[in-house]
Amino acid sequence: MIDLAATEQTLALFVEGMAGRYLHIKATQEFSSRRLSIDLASANQTTDTLLLPDQLDAPSASAYRVLALEQLAYREFGTFGFSLAEMRSRITLPEPENSNAGRASDLIQFFYLCPQPALIAQWFAIAERTRVVARMERAYPGIVKHARAYRTHQLQALDLDLIETIDDLARMASLNHLGATPALLKSLDLTGLVAPILAQLATLSTTTTDVYHSAACAMSIASLIAPYLNEVPANLVISEAENETQEWMQREARLQNWEEDLGQLEQQALSIAMLDANDIEVQQTEDAEGGLRTTELDLKSIQNERDVLQRRIGMEKSAIRDALGDEKTNARSYRYDEWDHLHQRYLKHWCRLFEERLEPQGDEDILALKQAVDVWRHRVQQQLEQIKPLGYQRVRRVTDGDELDFNAIISARQDIRAGQTPDDRLYSRRQRVHRDVCAALLVDLSASTDDSVDIPEPVEYDEEGAPVNLRDPFDDDDPCHAPLVPPEPERRIIDVQREAVTVMAGALEQLGDSYGIYGFSGYGKDCVEYYVAKDLNQPFTSATLGAIAAMQPKRSTRMGPAIRHTTQKLANSGNALKVLLMISDGFPQDSDYGPERGDHKWGLEDSARALREAQEKGIETFCVTVDRSGHDYLKTMCPDARYMVIEEIEDLPEALSKVYSALTG
Amino acid sequence: MSEAINFATLDSEPYYLELADEIEIFEAAYRARLPVLLKGPTGCGKTRFVEHMAWRIFRQTKHPIELPLITISCHEDLTATDMVGRFLLKGDETIWSDGPLTRAVRSGAICYLDEIVEARKDTTVLIHSLTDHRRLLPIDKTGELVSAHEDFLMVISYNPGYQSVLKDLKPSTRQRFVSLEFDYPDPEREAAIISHESGVDHKMAERLSVIGQKVRYLREHGFEEGVSTRLLIYTGELVKNGITPRRAAEIAIVYAVSDDRTVQQAIAEIVDAILP
Repeated sequence: MIDLAATEQTLALFVEGMAGRYLHIKATQEFSSRRLSIDLASANQTTDTLLLPDQLDAPSASAYRVLALEQLAYREFGTFGFSLAEMRSRITLPEPENSNAGRASDLIQFFYLCPQPALIAQWFAIAERTRVVARMERAYPGIVKHARAYRTHQLQALDLDLIETIDDLARMASLNHLGATPALLKSLDLTGLVAPILAQLATLSTTTTDVYHSAACAMSIASLIAPYLNEVPANLVISEAENETQEWMQREARLQNWEEDLGQLEQQALSIAMLDANDIEVQQTEDAEGGLRTTELDLKSIQNERDVLQRRIGMEKSAIRDALGDEKTNARSYRYDEWDHLHQRYLKHWCRLFEERLEPQGDEDILALKQAVDVWRHRVQQQLEQIKPLGYQRVRRVTDGDELDFNAIISARQDIRAGQTPDDRLYSRRQRVHRDVCAALLVDLSASTDDSVDIPEPVEYDEEGAPVNLRDPFDDDDPCHAPLVPPEPERRIIDVQREAVTVMAGALEQLGDSYGIYGFSGYGKDCVEYYVAKDLNQPFTSATLGAIAAMQPKRSTRMGPAIRHTTQKLANSGNALKVLLMISDGFPQDSDYGPERGDHKWGLEDSARALREAQEKGIETFCVTVDRSGHDYLKTMCPDARYMVIEEIEDLPEALSKVYSALTG
Repeated sequence: MSEAINFATLDSEPYYLELADEIEIFEAAYRARLPVLLKGPTGCGKTRFVEHMAWRIFRQTKHPIELPLITISCHEDLTATDMVGRFLLKGDETIWSDGPLTRAVRSGAICYLDEIVEARKDTTVLIHSLTDHRRLLPIDKTGELVSAHEDFLMVISYNPGYQSVLKDLKPSTRQRFVSLEFDYPDPEREAAIISHESGVDHKMAERLSVIGQKVRYLREHGFEEGVSTRLLIYTGELVKNGITPRRAAEIAIVYAVSDDRTVQQAIAEIVDAILP
């Protein structure tokens, strides 16, 4: 058995390279949808995700590559772009009986235009796989040997029964796909249909074929089989389980065409409106009757069409999201282990972390942030100036520089007098001395950072020990839950956190240290959110300021994966001194952080473990918390002298710089 | 120092496949003696382009100049002195020796400063006076003020990708040049280049260019540059010299673009999938 987890990381890179875009690699078990269920044992895909079985019975890990590439091939070789109009242009098809167009994908509509929709659907899937795999193997010949090895392995596990009935023919096709020779298949055949079907399928792998060839091929195979079907159910429904995600991928691809149409309609409407405006003076004199002018009619109908299309796109989008689940196209995802302190072991690849850039929304108050920061800047810089090195040092005896090195000159003269070859390094120059420091500021963006600074909120426990104040994780951006009257602007913990990291960013910029600013939150082990305001190697720009301003209180606090992810970033930075500064406002907690909801021990142990892992990788860690009850739990979480509890949250910026200069000075 | 400076005689035409209108632009810029800045990732053909242009300008027109192109590869320790010249000790006296830039300025060659941002800051002073209307080179050590030869042109290159902000080009420098942007060619033309330069057959060259395209999608993972056309040509040359394609790609691509084990593994798998 091969584990997905073992090969996941390289596989993600492989897929990104081959597809030209990032796709999440997930185990099929991770697929969650309100409408669909997928076959856990086979590969699948949605818009932004490749779903692969968690474990694979295969000869080597390359089987995962074969599966992934097959899925990508459906994208690359045009399966999802099937259009009914194009099919009609190649083949005569009956007109649909009821014009319920628009809901189902073009492919499903096509199936229902044929006499036996289910039969066509089944053989289309087979034909299309044959075609796509053949195209893939021609484009990427190196994959062939891996594919063969994997298929042979699968084939060995199957029994070769006789092909007796029509139902057995599909099984025959998959044996064919797995590499059973035509001769062997024909020898098993009692129906007499194997040879013609194989001949049909073979046409798909010889020429440059497209999805319409597969459709035509499916039609011919169906016509071969149809006479032998005992009874044709009148309203045969296409099997729901058959590649349902593919159906939705089709619909998503079609959405793009619709959006293009919408753009065109908008253009048309605009140009007519402009024409109208130009003509208006002329028209006023001529058009005395007051009837509707043709341009007006055109405009009306186009606007109407546009509105209808717009609504349809909206509905389709939500239907797709409903079926395929939320997409996270802009995020990258990583899996991290979690420490199970009860059994003293790691839960392998337990949490999924989504890394996303914080995009400035445009409405943040950057000016206010800048002003608030001015108050601190001076004090913080004074702090950090103590550690700032001289910057330049004079290097002596170099071949050239801004000053002569007199000692060198004297010895050169001596050498010349003595008849020896003098050293020609006669200059000295000033050289910049670099600090080799890399710091990551990791900010807790849990819902509680929304609390006001002035009224400290003591953590209350109910009988079971769970805090009463657990926020509903889903309401943070739900307008229905927002209070009707906007509250008085008050300083919240998040405001101070934002100011603190902004001040630090300014100071670190001056020091010339490389640094990153990150926020984290999330809900549940499969959705740890990690926000990047500034990555280690990025320059500080006004966009960074916007990103910091876009830091908002979100959901829960699962520290472990966030620390591990930051550790990974720092470890890859290659700097000599690496510092991880975490700013939080409470203990780690999440809905499923540990077996019991109220059990904070699990989260603390996991976070402590994550911090220890960081230290083992040579990273200096430090936790700053603004939670006054922080002493209780930080003691277990952090090593001695590696944490600080701030009584007055307003001291945060200064405290941070103190900590920083102590750690790196 | 000697390795960083290259005097090209350009006796034969350096191969260059035009990607857009860059040849026409460069020729127009040269006629007006406008200094040129070439931007683009490593190994995409900037240096080859300058060589080709120098050949076009000086050799096609039978310009009587011995060294039409002087290339200076800039690095952190390259100082103004290295470029302008220095006093050398010879016996009991010191003799002035012209640096490569001064030679180009006096003789009227194209002076190509490769990866300009790598050079120390004091070199920008020289560039500034040479690239505006003055066309002067001040040599403070000798107190000389050299007027540039009428054929002299300065071309600089820089790679906006990997240099950090600290090493960005100052606007005052950048705005003295007309900028030509370079990028890796499209797969078709890249295949043609690989095939021409390395001598592998077209099918192989196509496969190599597909590898290049796919690996470049992974740019963000620790190697901002992607795999250069140059590396693909190297691979082709190794293949031409009897190394198996897979091994050649391993040496010239997989290990060359990244040191990260996981990334190497992924690139190796991409190569494995594409090569027959």
